[in-house]
Amino acid sequence: MAAYILRRILTMIPTLLIISALVFVIIQLPPGDYLESHIAELQAQGESIDEKKIQFLREEYGLDKPMVQQYWVWLTGMLHGDFGYSFEYDLPVTEVVGDRLFLTILISTTTILFTWAVAFPIGIYSATHQYSWGDYGLSTLGFLGLATPNFLLALVMLYLANVHFGTSIGGLMDAEYIDAPWSFDKLVSVLEHLWIPVIVIGTSGTAGMIRRLRANLLDELQKQYVTTGRAKGLPPGKLLRKYPLRIALNFFVADIGNLLPTVISGAEIVAVVMSLPTTGPLLLSALQSQDMYLAGSFLMFLALLTVSGVLVSDILLALLDPRIRLGGSQAR
Amino acid sequence: MRRYLPALLLLLGTCGLPAASAYDGPLIEPPVLAQRVDSGELAPLRERIPGVPKIVELAGEKTPGEYGGELRLLMGKQKDIRQVVIYSYARLVCFDTDFELVPDLLQSYEVRDNRIFTLHLRPGHKWSDGHPFTSEDFRFYWEDDATNPELSPGGPESPLVVDGELPRVEYPDLYTVRYSWSKPNPYFLPALAGARPLYIYKPAHYLRQFHARYQSAEKLQQMIDAEKRRNWMGVYVNKDRPYKATNPDLPTLEPWINTTEPPAERFIFARNPYYHRIDQNGRQLPYIDSIAVNIASSKLVPAKTGAGESDLQARYLRMDNYTFLKTAAKRSDFDVRLWQTSKGAHMALYPDLNTQDPVYRDLLRDVRFRRALSLAINRHEINQVVFFGLVEESNNTVLREGPLFLPKYQSKWTEFNLKRANRLLDELGLDKRDDRGIRLMADGRPLEILVQTAGESTERTDVLELIHDSWLDAGIMLYTVPSTREVFRNRIFSGEAVMSIWSGLENGIPNADTSPAELAPTSKYQYQWPQWGSWYETRGQSGEPPTLPAARELVELNDRWAAAGSYQERRKIWQRMLEINLEQMFTIGIVNHVPHPVVVNNHLHNVPQKGFYDISPGAYFGIYKPDTFWFDEARR
Repeated sequence: MAAYILRRILTMIPTLLIISALVFVIIQLPPGDYLESHIAELQAQGESIDEKKIQFLREEYGLDKPMVQQYWVWLTGMLHGDFGYSFEYDLPVTEVVGDRLFLTILISTTTILFTWAVAFPIGIYSATHQYSWGDYGLSTLGFLGLATPNFLLALVMLYLANVHFGTSIGGLMDAEYIDAPWSFDKLVSVLEHLWIPVIVIGTSGTAGMIRRLRANLLDELQKQYVTTGRAKGLPPGKLLRKYPLRIALNFFVADIGNLLPTVISGAEIVAVVMSLPTTGPLLLSALQSQDMYLAGSFLMFLALLTVSGVLVSDILLALLDPRIRLGGSQAR
Repeated sequence: MRRYLPALLLLLGTCGLPAASAYDGPLIEPPVLAQRVDSGELAPLRERIPGVPKIVELAGEKTPGEYGGELRLLMGKQKDIRQVVIYSYARLVCFDTDFELVPDLLQSYEVRDNRIFTLHLRPGHKWSDGHPFTSEDFRFYWEDDATNPELSPGGPESPLVVDGELPRVEYPDLYTVRYSWSKPNPYFLPALAGARPLYIYKPAHYLRQFHARYQSAEKLQQMIDAEKRRNWMGVYVNKDRPYKATNPDLPTLEPWINTTEPPAERFIFARNPYYHRIDQNGRQLPYIDSIAVNIASSKLVPAKTGAGESDLQARYLRMDNYTFLKTAAKRSDFDVRLWQTSKGAHMALYPDLNTQDPVYRDLLRDVRFRRALSLAINRHEINQVVFFGLVEESNNTVLREGPLFLPKYQSKWTEFNLKRANRLLDELGLDKRDDRGIRLMADGRPLEILVQTAGESTERTDVLELIHDSWLDAGIMLYTVPSTREVFRNRIFSGEAVMSIWSGLENGIPNADTSPAELAPTSKYQYQWPQWGSWYETRGQSGEPPTLPAARELVELNDRWAAAGSYQERRKIWQRMLEINLEQMFTIGIVNHVPHPVVVNNHLHNVPQKGFYDISPGAYFGIYKPDTFWFDEARR
């Protein structure tokens, strides 16, 4: 097992290297560089541009160097914990991302908990009461959540919350609490705003999870050991918890690998629509303006989380299900 | 010279006897600063303002106000906090509401032959940290910044360079600065008055600590390491951002000072206790104590404004939000006003005379073809369908509100006349058509014009759709090619584009002292002749020289304008350049006079009912002096 883990960790290194090269090249693929999109923006707004200043900035930012050299500087910098410099914000990347990370984790964790809290009971209920009115009703609701575009739902809910509850539109708190120290009032304000993104982002995830749990559980419920258990007189609740549910949970553990990056990146589109102070809109605008170190470092961070998330879920699965361990060693 | 007469008169009045005319009227301390004054931390108001403050007479539509309140603004990005610097609009000289130049930070100035500019500072004027504002700040800029080979490898900014010649800069005393050139420099004063001004002064006492000439190498190295810069210039430039307002420590002369260090989602601008303007009752401006800028996704700004989350909003609002805002006005206690944009055209077609395809190029360079294209546009229909009939059908030219307007500029070649258009096109030898009815060009290809659009607004694609329909009746096929702004520009610069759609003249209300460079091939950002513009801009190092006689004449006229001695002469040159642009139809304007919604809180006073909303030359709200806006009791 230890050798397996070590080997997995070692393969992460070339994976991340390849990702870093891809990320860097793809961010630079669109024509021009940050300064050109900056000039374009200034010009679109009718502001004057001084070419001499631009030339100075190009040298200052190192944009006049060949791409390979820029990549090398960035890569070696990251190994020292220096994630480069955001042109757009005129600040080191770590400072730009810093504040937003906490709120992103807050929203994402709440959303995930919300998803689980809703999806679990419904999934189990639909599986155990297959083809009942309850199953149909809840599944319809779930699919409705999946099918409604998140951003549309976001706009509708923002409007209703503003008109009926007087909640300020967008953001995670009322304006006066932004950048203010934490207090009880600020917490209340955050909670007032938090439920909308949580529901909006949660609805689509909920539907998916209900269906997967239901399908997995249904597979298991048909199996002989369940019948045997029932024949031997196990109470239905205990039977469900002890056997089929545990096996049906494999998909859930396998999902952890995908969970970690979403916790950090948040739901970008919804965050943009709702103007949430999370990392999603930051990443999007960085990509648009070719603020390459901000975008690149952020994507690398997500890649690292994905890769380690997959590792964690693989290890967990191996611990949880002996069949997986066995299958792994046979393949070797 | 006529233009500067008021300034000269003012000068005679003030400079002759400076001591006698020093302000000795009443002064009322802002309550928000009273405590700091009482504790001795801040000097009393009389010692904080210059000996001769700028007295703003509020009369007519505007009324003298009271101190207090917080003005809330919404912006789409952190970078947008520079808008506060634009709105503040405290400049050495600034445009008044008639777009005439008047001294502002300067007490007065004199101009000789448009070559020698003597600037008189206000004795006793102080930076926002209380340090005196003197000619030393100008010397620091010129000697240690603009002509420092490390900081400005390309030399000083372009408005300071006349035909490659740098000015002679003198500092006769603490309060006088003189810039002189051997040839006229008409770009100098307007640049000082720009929304994004040319800063020819810097807070020397503050910036010295980041400058290699004044700071030890060791200390600088510490700063470079701490801020992860490559060299001292990086540190210096980052500290010296008067326009971006990202450095709360940087002393300023504006009415409000940013107090929030980025990154943040909410920026607070506090009043500058040393500001140089007062009202007739002795209240120091600004009336409003602070400005809170909240950053929100730009797409949410109309909705948030409708919910009453902004006190003064025009940015990110569009005409199509008007009905929504009107509905929300009552609920959220604000007023929606319609201001006007001052662009020469809200949108204009740019036939690319430098396009690579020789067949298209020859066609586009024929004036008859450009005229035919214009005549085949049904502007009236566009006005009714897209703009609710609220705008004016016009060429891309000066507006009637400006002094240079003539009716024909607006209307010649803009009537919808398919018959005439078709006749012109037939004359050009485009009389053969394919089975769709599309005309065939000389080489047998159908006449299909791809119009590039930056894809930022659906408005432009909607308009192109309507043009497509009427051009079809003239036997021309139009395809719309949307892309991102960067791709759009690169296609134009590379000559791939045949035609593009963009907004028209930046400044539609110029006077004869305004540079006419927009009318001549002088910049590669002019989409009708990017290569010719580039040629002029780089002095022949890139691009290609203009070949059309009319374009060459425009370049000559533009150069002659710069050297012209009198206002009358400059006016004549302007009229000639407008005439050429009109007859040649180098750009095909579609509509102008587009209204812009401005949302004003009902408790906010002194915001005009009507105004121009554009960055140039009005600095958005700037010329209407937001430091004179005030809140009534309900919001103080």
